[in-house]
Amino acid sequence: MNRLVTVAEMTARELLRRRGVLLLLLLMPLTFWLIRRDAYVGQSVRSLLLGVSWAVSTAALFATGAARELEPRLRLAGYRPHHLYLGRMAGLWMAGLVIAAPFLLLTVLDAPELRHGGVAVAMLCCVGVAAPFGMLIGVLLPRELEGTLLLLTVVAVQMLIDPAGSGAKLTPFWSSREIATWAVDHTDDGYLARGVLHGIVVTALLVAAVAAVSSVRLRRRRHLRQLPTG
Amino acid sequence: MNADEWLRTLAAELHQRRVAADAARHVVVEAATHLREDGRDPWLVLGPPGEYAAAISESIGPAPRPRPGPVRLHAQGITKRYGRHTVLRDASLTVRAGQIAAVVGANGCGKSTFLRICAGLVSLDTGQVTVTGRLGYCPQQGGTADFLLPDEHFVLVGAGRGVARGPARRAGRTAARQLGWEAGGDVLTRHLSGGTRQKLNLTMSTLSEPDVLLLDEPYQGFDHGTYVNFWDQLARLRDQGKAIVVVTHLLNQLDRVDLVLDLTAATRGERA
Amino acid sequence: MDSDRRGQWLRGVLDLCVLAALRDGESYGYQLAQALDVAGVGPIQGGTLYPVLLRLQRTGLVTAQWREGTSGPARKYYRLTEHGRATLRQDGSAWLAFVAPVNTIVTKGVDG
Repeated sequence: MNRLVTVAEMTARELLRRRGVLLLLLLMPLTFWLIRRDAYVGQSVRSLLLGVSWAVSTAALFATGAARELEPRLRLAGYRPHHLYLGRMAGLWMAGLVIAAPFLLLTVLDAPELRHGGVAVAMLCCVGVAAPFGMLIGVLLPRELEGTLLLLTVVAVQMLIDPAGSGAKLTPFWSSREIATWAVDHTDDGYLARGVLHGIVVTALLVAAVAAVSSVRLRRRRHLRQLPTG
Repeated sequence: MNADEWLRTLAAELHQRRVAADAARHVVVEAATHLREDGRDPWLVLGPPGEYAAAISESIGPAPRPRPGPVRLHAQGITKRYGRHTVLRDASLTVRAGQIAAVVGANGCGKSTFLRICAGLVSLDTGQVTVTGRLGYCPQQGGTADFLLPDEHFVLVGAGRGVARGPARRAGRTAARQLGWEAGGDVLTRHLSGGTRQKLNLTMSTLSEPDVLLLDEPYQGFDHGTYVNFWDQLARLRDQGKAIVVVTHLLNQLDRVDLVLDLTAATRGERA
Repeated sequence: MDSDRRGQWLRGVLDLCVLAALRDGESYGYQLAQALDVAGVGPIQGGTLYPVLLRLQRTGLVTAQWREGTSGPARKYYRLTEHGRATLRQDGSAWLAFVAPVNTIVTKGVDG
């Protein structure tokens, strides 16, 4: 347990120290919110949520890249694979909440007519999905440029796709969109329920995928036999 | 400097010169008795502790090297192919406790790959590796987190074996001091010079007190003084009974090494 | 008086003096330094004496034994071995044979 907590703490520390990157990451959600602010507030909220999702995913992508050389040594130092990927994920979730909090506050202050509880739940879904999503891309694509481009593509698709369409539920951040509709348009609770369910399922699937890929990459190779000193 | 400080410095200087521990103890006690009977300032009576230690260690001679112990690393018949390119062909190496092995060869001949295979980080096509005891590995570059403090690296590595934070930090700083570096600062790793970052890299690999230490040219960016310290440190670790494998393309320290594995021809070979 | 020159002389002959000082029995470091000082060879820096004692020990000319002092800490007592006694006789005679003509030459130079 301590190993997991230590990895989580160091992940969060590392991330929150990268002030420059954080500032730039926060710029996108903020600009998204401000650009369409005069128009329909729902658009701003959806753009904001997408911006937060993108920011946290990118942070997760970079964190995974930065840790790549470190993880084999940590394996040798006594960590099991699950300490490493679960710890990193926990740290990213914590950092994600820190990133999302000011934007939640922004909506509370700037758009009092929304169901703020709904916005909060939507942000939870954003952060929940984004961290393992960014990690998965990070472990699959070794170079950060490719990973960032893929993230941009996903975000663009997410933004443009019709949420009611058939393929929409396959996009990772559909949950936050659906919950946003509940928060903005004060629709029936079905939106909230669907959104939360989607969020939980997608998060679980992504966590499982990260677990699988990481366990394979960090496995102890079979050709190495380790004996205790007699 | 009072007598106690003088004696402490003497003990440190003797240790630095690799005088055997019990001989050093005798020397310090004898000096203490003499100082007590004489009563005057130690610097007057015995001179600077460093010079005294130098004269003593010359008289005593260095501690005899302990005989090599049981086999700690046995790598046999390692073959590795990347596509159609054979990087390693039937490479073998056996290292005992208290030995240093050097892996040499031209660039690109698979030295790093061999080490990573021995560390279990890369799979091989044929062959087997048996390691007795704990493994430590120092990659050629990277291996550190840019946005963490050195102390935080020590805590991370220590936690892997359940070492608490305070002791882990202390152990890290002590190991760093052997390389001539005061590690407990507020400077993020990314702001450290290349040589210092490599010292951190190296310190991390020795922290978990491994029995087998695999080092991939860890001295990049070291100035000459640190380079010498590094080989002294390796000798100390060797005398503690560790089995050490160093990948190097610098051949000027090969006289301090027990075995050499030459991978140039991508063939087998172990010459003692 | 150039202390460097004196140091050179002393370096050449200190081990012999120590062997001679141990002829009549065992002694320890501080006591030896005092004895040599009293005999007129002048204050011997401990930093010069102990390395000599260690070298003599290593080459088998003296043996050493730790003994509890009557008052307080243990002391390391040195004594001559047979080999040490023989070396003292031999090299001591050689020294005396060497120093006599040197004395004659230098006396002539100083007193004219």
